[in-house]
Amino acid sequence: MNGSPLTRFGTGWLLVLPFLALVVALFLGPIANILWLSVTDPEPGLGNYAALVTSDNLAGILWTTIRICVITTAFSVVLGYSIAYAMVHVAQGSRNRMLGLLLVSFWISVLVRTFSWLMLLGRKGLVNETLLGIGLIAQPIEFMRNELGVLIGMVHYMIPYAVLPLLASMQNIDTRVLAASRSLGATGTQTFWRIYLPLTKPGLVAAALLVFILSLGFYVTPAILGGGKVLMVAEYISVQILVTLRWGTAAMLAALMLFGVLALLFVMSRFMKLSTVFGGAKA
Amino acid sequence: MHDKQFMREAAQEGAKAFKEGRMDRRTFLVLCGMAGIATQAVIAGDAEAAANEIVMWNWGGQSEECHGKAIGDPFTAETGMPLKFDTSGPLQGKIKEMVDSGNVTADVCDADLFDAVALGPSGHLEPIDYDIVSKDRTLPQYALEHGVSIILYGYAFVYDTEAYGDNPPKNWADFFDTAKFPGKRSLYKWANGALEGALLADGVAKDALYPLDMDRALAKIKSIKDDSLYWGSGSEAHSMVVNGEVSMGMIWQNRGRNIEMDTDGRYKLVMNEALAMPGAYIVPKGNPAGREAVMKFIATAQSVPSQLTLLGCLGMTPSNPEAFAQIPEDQQPYAITSAMNIDGIVYNDPTWWGENGGDAVNAFLEAIS
Repeated sequence: MNGSPLTRFGTGWLLVLPFLALVVALFLGPIANILWLSVTDPEPGLGNYAALVTSDNLAGILWTTIRICVITTAFSVVLGYSIAYAMVHVAQGSRNRMLGLLLVSFWISVLVRTFSWLMLLGRKGLVNETLLGIGLIAQPIEFMRNELGVLIGMVHYMIPYAVLPLLASMQNIDTRVLAASRSLGATGTQTFWRIYLPLTKPGLVAAALLVFILSLGFYVTPAILGGGKVLMVAEYISVQILVTLRWGTAAMLAALMLFGVLALLFVMSRFMKLSTVFGGAKA
Repeated sequence: MHDKQFMREAAQEGAKAFKEGRMDRRTFLVLCGMAGIATQAVIAGDAEAAANEIVMWNWGGQSEECHGKAIGDPFTAETGMPLKFDTSGPLQGKIKEMVDSGNVTADVCDADLFDAVALGPSGHLEPIDYDIVSKDRTLPQYALEHGVSIILYGYAFVYDTEAYGDNPPKNWADFFDTAKFPGKRSLYKWANGALEGALLADGVAKDALYPLDMDRALAKIKSIKDDSLYWGSGSEAHSMVVNGEVSMGMIWQNRGRNIEMDTDGRYKLVMNEALAMPGAYIVPKGNPAGREAVMKFIATAQSVPSQLTLLGCLGMTPSNPEAFAQIPEDQQPYAITSAMNIDGIVYNDPTWWGENGGDAVNAFLEAIS
């Protein structure tokens, strides 16, 4: 680590070169293929992209997708923030147990979770039957098989993804800063809003980006919990590839998602250093 | 191009030798390596599939056991070729991808007849050889150039006897009438059958269904949209009904049979106006076992004993008219072509669906989402 920055850079590149070549061959190649498909199938030109403007159907699907992803991100990050906050403020033993539970949740397949929600909140699920039984409601509440169901399922799945970057960011905060704030006369609330929250901003952005990007590709949960009425872009792409053979449309939507995410990262990079967001929190 | 062809053949010959024990595993893999065939492709069965066997591409579950018993056993007894399975589901896009990639690993797909219409003209399928396969052993309208119907499945519906005990629904008109029959409905998400049901409910005559009047069908679908859920798989359709999410559910008729049995008759299947769908065998272009072998396999599947075994095992209805009269008593209520049901059913037009299916599915998705 004591060479000049340039040689360090050079050796580093040499080390990753084989993997870089692998990534280019196995990752960029297919992506180029997809991009090519989006301007050549069914006929050469930008017809697939023009359909974005001319087709109400596509616009509707994109709008549904973005709406659901934004709401999911908002809820996941807020709930994830409180969980992470609790985790850094409990004793070490409890924190380890909480982290254990959080990580275990990654092992549970998305299908199992989806069907569990149906059993809990479905029309004849545990919650509705109980509420009906004690006479609190006359009609079952429609939690599932609609957009609300999709949101419940997605937020539940995404919370752990929001917690991890937030936790990393909170653990790196120098708590003496908070003590200093209190000793200078700020109340607890003021310290939180003016000191703690701004210090966790990189974690917040990382969590929001991660959750939003993962949500964009969600397929199983909307397909099942939406009862067929909540069509998101991932499911639509799959239908266009497998059933209707509109590979050009599917490739166009895939390209749109890719560039959408890249554009998002670019916009973010204008406001803050992405390196602090992704991992390099300890500047 | 020729080199590639040669290498493929070298690998296939090697696979045969490997199968028969004339070549050890290591030599075979070296050969594959030289031929530029990824080990994964070998394991998946490209070269392997050539080694004197038929690979059926189907949907997994019980179908493996049932197809093995009904068609595989007699076929192996006759030809010595075993039947193997790829259970990843031969959707149109996957068949197209497989043929386009030049790495064809399946010999016969358990698909829909409309797939034959959609993929045949673009050169993705082998034509059916009607010197080996019999046109008389299927319904006359279901022996097409690139596919032949082996079984029939159907879109029917089940209803909750506790909700409509005294005045049960009898046809699609009742299914779409939420005023007379209040309660939730479930329909197939990918348009098939749902469009026909909607048009029949709207008063279109059985023999005047095709070409489908999409606007009229979608208007009818939308009229009950607030009361409808849509399923994408048989198990989802099943659970929507037995978990009480809907009071009437459109369903594949063999699933309907299972629901009646599982719930001791609480839910009842209505076969009147059931839509008969031709399930077909289609052959990807350049299938590894060769065209003749797979045509013999398809011919075996047409035999009456094979057809009746599939009916007993999977609830798939025979398409061979010789078998209609031999449908056993206990299967009569659920079989599409039984004497009991055959007059009430409506036949799907695979040519319309093959040519217009893509647009129809997208329009349907737009209407329900």
